[in-house]
Amino acid sequence: MEYAVESLGLTKYYGRILAVDHIYFKVRNGEIFGFLGPNGAGKTTTIRMLTGLTRPTEGTARIFGCDILKKVIRARRFFGVVPEFSNVYDYLSAWDNLMFMGELYRVPKDERRVYGRELLELFGLYERRHEKVRTFSKGMRRRLTIAMALIHRPRLLFLDEPTSGLDVRSTIVIRNIIRRLNREGVTVFLTTHNIEEANVLCDRVAIIYRGRIVAIDSPERLKSTIESVQSIVVAFDKLSPRVLDDLRSIPVVHTVRKEGDKVRLYTSSPPDALEELFDYVRRNGLKIISINTLGPSLEDVFLKLTGGGVG
Amino acid sequence: MNVLERIRWEIGASISIARRYMRIYYIRPGTIMFGLMFPLFMFLSFAVGRRIPASMLISSLISITLLFSSSSVGPMILPMERRLKTIERLLVAPISFYSILLGVILCSMVYSISISIVPVFIGLLFLGVEVVDLLSLAVGIFFSSMCFASLGMMFASYPTEYPGNVTMALNFLRLPLLFISGVFIPLENLPDWQRTIAFISPLTYCNDLMRRSVGGGYLNPVLDAAALLAFTILFLVAGMKIHVMFSDTASTSRPVRRMPEYGRRRHGPRGRPGSPA
Repeated sequence: MEYAVESLGLTKYYGRILAVDHIYFKVRNGEIFGFLGPNGAGKTTTIRMLTGLTRPTEGTARIFGCDILKKVIRARRFFGVVPEFSNVYDYLSAWDNLMFMGELYRVPKDERRVYGRELLELFGLYERRHEKVRTFSKGMRRRLTIAMALIHRPRLLFLDEPTSGLDVRSTIVIRNIIRRLNREGVTVFLTTHNIEEANVLCDRVAIIYRGRIVAIDSPERLKSTIESVQSIVVAFDKLSPRVLDDLRSIPVVHTVRKEGDKVRLYTSSPPDALEELFDYVRRNGLKIISINTLGPSLEDVFLKLTGGGVG
Repeated sequence: MNVLERIRWEIGASISIARRYMRIYYIRPGTIMFGLMFPLFMFLSFAVGRRIPASMLISSLISITLLFSSSSVGPMILPMERRLKTIERLLVAPISFYSILLGVILCSMVYSISISIVPVFIGLLFLGVEVVDLLSLAVGIFFSSMCFASLGMMFASYPTEYPGNVTMALNFLRLPLLFISGVFIPLENLPDWQRTIAFISPLTYCNDLMRRSVGGGYLNPVLDAAALLAFTILFLVAGMKIHVMFSDTASTSRPVRRMPEYGRRRHGPRGRPGSPA
């Protein structure tokens, strides 16, 4: 089986600080692979090593079989990179930025003009193609950065925090484009600290913590590994600190967390917890506005694996 | 891809980079200040109120212009590219890092050649200066622009994100060069010990070729051209060494030896400023 990415013990020291510690993983051709971790976990360092921007202290990686230390220039033809920072040329127009990238990847002139137009239309930038990028909003710059990474029709796309700091609308547009690219056969390697993003986009997720991979699997299978963590989310008409204290005293509830105007009760037995909860509500004359029982989320998995714990 | 195709690709990429850099960086205040205004004011401070033959005036102006304009573009481009992280866009493209540097040098050379032609025309049209050796002029301008562009690139290889840092360091070299290279006083009029010092300056050979083109000159023009070429190679090699010394990219840096076990620490403050998280 051909893998899009194979990390073979990638390790990186900065001085004496160990940033990435012998990580091994494989990304299958055609999947969306999420690389999830808190800030400073080693996500960006890993993506920089995979794209040849940073030399590993130890280990190597292969991109579609090309060793990044021996054949990095050949490997770079296969992938596009969207860095965390939208590094577009402010003093060039969107069109010129795109054409410049096409020239560097040696896309034939006619092809880059046709595909460049398609990309700008897809990303909603075609009408403003001749404007200097310095006049663009953050979301528009982000979309242009992704378009620039796609001009040579890469088989693999590295996305480093693609929706970080964007508004909801831009985030949805970019997520839809990622799904569409994947349907068209592009393998996506996505680093994010946004758990929901990994949950809704990725076929598989690797969780990196302190430079080490602590889990790799599909989001659902990862959740099933902590099936014992279930919860009830309830909203009352009146919520006071005393109510929270009372809920903590329910025997089958091990953690209570306030989430906005709701309360989340973690329990290993939702039926027993619900019974106790309804008794408490009746006794105290409270009114329930809404109630839901939830299985473990990817966030719970993440917190458990990265030492945050649940609750 | 065979070697010839690869070379064509790399040169094509360099030209493409140079074309974009021209549009972005030629109009930046730093480039205009140090590449255009600075040599002009240096020249005026030398020429105003002194009785100097027009041919010497023009040859000196061309030399000063070549030195400052060629060496000012690279120190503007590379730090700005680092600061805006646009250099990383080029570093992940399937091209050699040396093609990026060649693009910077080409961009510097075109800027410098375009500007240095202005004093040539001023001399020809308004001051009655005659170009008696066109070959020396053409070779001198081309080789000098290449040499000083490489000088600027060498200084810009130091991994700073601030053009001012590079320009300041560069001026510690450029300004003394003006006084030891026979620009203000012809080589033949210098005492022996000063002339000996002049030979270690690339500006000496540039200025000598400019003098020869307007009917003067002290050294053999072939020696001038060879010396400029030798300095170019020296600056390029030194620039690349500096780059490799500080680089961390897979294509240009040296492999790093494994850290000893006792030295391992995980995740604290980064060991080096600017290290990515």
